[in-house]
Formats: sequence, structure tokens, C-alpha cells
Amino acid sequence: MAQLAETYACVPSTERGRGILISGDPKSNSILYCNGRSVIIRYLDRPLEVQVYGEHAYPATVARYSPNGEWIASADVSGTVRIWGTHNDFVLKKEFRVLSGRIDDLQWSPDGERIVASGEGKGKSLVRAFMWDSGTNVGEFDGHSRRVLSCAFKPTRPFRIVTCGEDFLVNFYEGPPFKFKLSHRDHSNFVNCIRFSPDGKRFISVSSDKKGILYDAKTGDKIGELSSEDGHKGSIYAVSWSPDSRKVVTVSADKSAKLWEISDDNNGTVKRTLTCPGSGGVDDMLVGCLWQNDHIVTVSLGGSIFLYSASDLDKAPLELSGHMKNINSISVLKSDPKVILSTSYDGLIVKWVQGIGYSGKLERGVNSQIKCFAAVEEEIVSSGFDNKVWRYSLHGDQCGDGDCIDIGNQPKDLSLARLSSELALVSFDTGVTLLRGTKIVSTIDLGFTVTACTIAPNGTEAIVGGQDGKLHIYSVTGDTLQEEAVLEKHRGAITVIRYSPDVSMFASADANREAVVWDCATREVKLKNMLYHTARINCLAWSPNGSMVATGSLDTCVIVYEVDKPASSRITIKGAHLGGVYGLEFIDDQTVVSSGEDACIRLWNVTPK
Amino acid sequence: MTNAASGMAVHDDCKLKFMELKTKRTHRFIVFKIEEKQKQVIVEKLGEPTETYDDFTASLPAEECRYAVFDFDFMTEENVPKSRIFFIAWSPDTAKVRSKMIYASSKDRFKRELDGIQVELQATDPTEMGLDVFKSRAN
Repeated sequence: MAQLAETYACVPSTERGRGILISGDPKSNSILYCNGRSVIIRYLDRPLEVQVYGEHAYPATVARYSPNGEWIASADVSGTVRIWGTHNDFVLKKEFRVLSGRIDDLQWSPDGERIVASGEGKGKSLVRAFMWDSGTNVGEFDGHSRRVLSCAFKPTRPFRIVTCGEDFLVNFYEGPPFKFKLSHRDHSNFVNCIRFSPDGKRFISVSSDKKGILYDAKTGDKIGELSSEDGHKGSIYAVSWSPDSRKVVTVSADKSAKLWEISDDNNGTVKRTLTCPGSGGVDDMLVGCLWQNDHIVTVSLGGSIFLYSASDLDKAPLELSGHMKNINSISVLKSDPKVILSTSYDGLIVKWVQGIGYSGKLERGVNSQIKCFAAVEEEIVSSGFDNKVWRYSLHGDQCGDGDCIDIGNQPKDLSLARLSSELALVSFDTGVTLLRGTKIVSTIDLGFTVTACTIAPNGTEAIVGGQDGKLHIYSVTGDTLQEEAVLEKHRGAITVIRYSPDVSMFASADANREAVVWDCATREVKLKNMLYHTARINCLAWSPNGSMVATGSLDTCVIVYEVDKPASSRITIKGAHLGGVYGLEFIDDQTVVSSGEDACIRLWNVTPK
Repeated sequence: MTNAASGMAVHDDCKLKFMELKTKRTHRFIVFKIEEKQKQVIVEKLGEPTETYDDFTASLPAEECRYAVFDFDFMTEENVPKSRIFFIAWSPDTAKVRSKMIYASSKDRFKRELDGIQVELQATDPTEMGLDVFKSRAN
């Protein structure tokens, strides 16, 4: 049986030039954000415990808890709002098609009866408010001509809704049934976020023109603004009130978050500036914030979540980060406790420690994209979408200098001889290249389309798989490859080949959902009928003692087989990663780590039956 | 080329053995083969009541099509022993196309001759007739 042990969650997906909205539940101390098609619920005090809701058919944009904490309403780019229960396995209550374009913001009314959603659409449907259980409209929202970026519901009676958008307007609606009351055009650029204070007396709007303006909540009149002295020097993307309604936190593209104290004459003065500790690049622009209980959460463009303590602002923030995009490979370093390196195609390498979680990003001198990746104790070898293969030395936490080699063709697969890590085998469309260190030893044109390759740990044998499903075994002598045998069993292009840790067996998997275990010495099939996947197999891993083989596939499942038992007695992990499993490794004989398209990494405890 | 869809006769033995499986429970499974030269469906193998599911899978060739009938015993949720008669159209991906065509076109007529089949299954590889598939189809 397999049980989920830990989840290293992805981070919110961000977009340059736009803020993102994260929300949370003060009662359960959790925050909600979206990445791809998933909505992620993260508990601030237990960062390794993450729940993922993956039922949206389109990328999700925003999610909010209902005031009583029982339901979550989440919205996506198709204009659909799904309301589902927090407990009870996320059972769906209702689904509504609210707008004809993407939904940018969503709010519950304080009694949990109505929901207002705003975003993009055609003609009049830019904002809609409806009853949560029946979907009936509760107002007419005209007054905006362009995308409505944010909306807010007054938390106290009498109910009011405010919206703001790309047409620089802040609109005020009275109701229910909600009708347009008045409009303000005080901003000179996109108004990014608008929020009511928890006591319902004021609301604040922030904009890309670096200003923040305060208004009276009952009448909608402008009453003050955030002082421009020591103000933000870049677009302000989001704002959040403190629970006592006296302070606000704003985040901006100038890479800082500012705490403002709102005085009784309704003007704001900067109390504190928090700059996020980063390398200072574009990735440090802050795009989202939330003030919940005693925590201030800020999110940067690069996806890092910083947790500050509101009562003790001098304390260094807790940084949580992860991947934003598909994680296409994992490597486990044999240190203690085990360190896992994960890479995604945008060139991000993240270090994780088993039991603790996020442990830092590996900065490389040149941030090239990564398609294939291999790591041993002191070295990382990676290749991207150009013709270069990069070698970096790894010292503890840092990457040393890197060297690159141009091999003349785009690398399709990469393999390091584990025991003599100088030797690397890189395969490209029509052949393979042998590398020793950073020098090309030889480039051999094999005459067939190569799809996967691997080299034995001692560097004496190499196996190359082709588009036609044939496995070619070569012996490596010096700088030439001598073909020893051709094995035919697969009925699809070979996707991955791996040697077992003791080099007595190797396993191969193809795009036709089949995996086969072979004996190295006799080259006979040892275990067949491993056909239980329903889509192409992307990755394969051996357990350290060589008794189990795990395969991960595009069908989101991970299946663990035992080599000495028939393939039908297998352990299946269904739905391991929404979108497909792309990386797989064994940490020890009972733990498997898998990564996938949903940018999350999960650790599973596997116990053979 | 003979018209395979309507030309295949069913040998009397097939019906007899199937009736025995149904009423007297004398066989665990029956494997049928289409003899192209005699244009008939004949009984290829009979399984003893003591034989198991694994013996059954072993008697199906990995690269040729067959028809099979299997008497599957299981326990329901209330711990009541029940049995279901499965008809399996075994058509592995690795078999010849001609063989698959003949078996596919004659299947309907052959099934009509066997009265009392409760569940039908088509398997194109061993995973599609795994024990878990039997259990889920049995209810």
C-alpha cells in the first residue's frame, strides 16, 4: 500500500505586470492560492501539509473561503465559479458560469449568502453578483468599460459593493439589489486592488500610479489618501487590512512591502517598510499580500512566499518557495537527511530536505532552461533547449562555476556514469555523444532515431533506445561504441532506460504504456506484462536494494512493481500529480518521491503487500 | 477468401460443454478456438473445477486470439458466495490482424449459441483481464 507522507507544494502562478490575490481563513490559519488548474490550501503552521483541489477544467485564478469557513468558491479563466466544501473530500456544491471571460476577483458577502465576481467579459458582463446557492442575479453592474481587476463586499450592513478596474475607475454600488451609485476617477493608471476594512468603515484602492486612496464605506466619498512621502516607487499590486482596521499592508513592484498606519483623519503614513531578502532581480517584485491574524504573507513574482510576524516585524521572515511550472526531473543526493533536487523547464533548481521541506534555490551563473538533468554528489549536469550541455560543481548549498560544451545538436537525453561521473552520455536525434569532463570524446551517428539512452555506472556499457522500440546495447571502449545486441520487445518509442543499483538488471519503458525488466548478463526478459498504465510512461526508478521498480506516467499514476512477483501484484498510486508524473526517484527502500506537471513534489511511503 | 462473418459453424461439443459448466459445474473454464480450415469453433481446452484463475490465464496463448468462458466464484459484501459466468474475447495486441478480424466478426453469432453468459469481457492484454477487473465486473 502507498501513503502520502509529505507534499512540497507549488507556489502561486504569477504574471509580470499584474498582481495576484491570495486569501485565507483566520480560523484554520490557512491560505489559499492557485497554480495552473489546482487550488492549493496551505496551513501556515504546518507547511508540509497541503491540500490540492484539482477539479477545474481551466487554469484557476482566485479562491476564497466563505465567512463560516465551510465552503470555498474558486474561479477560473473560463468564467466558471465552483463552490465546494472544505471538509468532506471537497464535494462540489454548485458550479456557475458567471462571466464570459476570466474572473479576476471573487468575494463572499459577510452573511455567506451572496457572491460577487469580477473580471473580463463581453459587453456588460464584467461584474456579477449572485446568490450562492441558486445563482440568481442580485444586481445590475454597469459602469465599467474595461477589465475589472478587483471587487469588494462591505463586511457590515448596509451592504455595498465596490469595484475597480483597468479603466482607472472605482465604482460604488448600493443594494441589494445592487445599483450603480457613484464613480471615482482619482487614479491615473490601472486600479489593482480594492478592499474594505474589517470594521466596515472605510475602503482603500491601490493602483499602478503608486497611489492609495481611502474612501468612506457608507457613502463612497473620498476621505483621504496614503501619504506620498516615503511611498512606493512602483505600481502597487495588492493591499490588505490588519484585523483591527488600523493598518494596511501594500505590496509593490518596487520590491518592498509597506505598513501604513491609518490615522483618524483618514490619511495613511508609512510605519514600516519591509524589503524581501532576495537577489534583487525582477523575481523579487511583490505581487500579492494578505494580513491574517498575526501573519503578514507576501508573494513575489518568482513565487516565493514570505511569512512575517505582524507583532514582531524585525524578525526575519519565513521563506516558503517551490516550483511554479512543470517539474521535469528529480535527483536524490545521498546525504543525510536526504536532499532532493528538483528542476523545472524554466531553469529553476530547488533543494528540498526530507522532513523539513523547502531548503533553498540553487543559483547558477547562467539561468538557462533545463530539459534533462543529472546530479551526483559534487556535480550537476544539465541540458536545455539549445545545443549546450552545462556542468556545474556543487559545493554543499552553492553552485560553483559552470562550464558549457556545445555538442552541435539538441540533447534529447542525458546520462551520467554514476561511479565515474566524468563520463556522460548525451543522446540527440540521430546519435550519441560521449563526454569526458567538459570535452567531447566522440560523436557517433547511429543511423536510427534515438529517443532514450543510459550508461552503466562503471561506464563500460551503454543502452540506447530508438523510436521503433528497439533497445541497442553497446560496450564502451575508449571512445567508441561497439554494438553488442539488439533487443526487441517494445511496441512504441522507448522513453526511459535505467540500470538497477547493483547493475544486474535494467528496466526500460516506452510510449506505448509498457515497461520491461531485463537481466543484464543474459539479456533475457525478467519481468514483463507491466502494462498497467493507460498513457505513455515518462519516468522510471529503481529502489536502492533493487527489489522494486516504480514507473510514472502521463496518466497521473505511479505504479510500483516488485521484481520477483508477477506484475499483477502491483501498488498503484492514482492521481499522484494532476497533468502527469514527470520525475520519479526512490529515497530509500520504502519511500518514493514523485514530481509532475502540477509543480508539486510528493513523498509516498510504499510498503510491499 | 471466405466470408468470415457468416461462415463459421459452431461444433456441437462447444454447446454441450458449456451446458455442463452451467448446470453440473464440471469445468472451471473452457477455451474455444476457431479452426479456420474446418470453418468451425471447437473446444480447445477444458479446466478442472479445482483449477484457478492463474491456470486459466496460462492456457491463453499470448499471441493468438481465443474465446473463453470462465466460471468466477466470489464473495459479496454480505459474505454470500456467488458465481458469475464470464465470456472473454481474448484478442491480444500482438496477434495477427487476420486472426483478430475472424474472431471479432464471429463473436456475436457464437455468443448467441451459448445461453447463460452473465458478463462479457474483451481483453487485448493480460492487464485487461486481471483479477481486479473480474471482481469489479462481477457486481
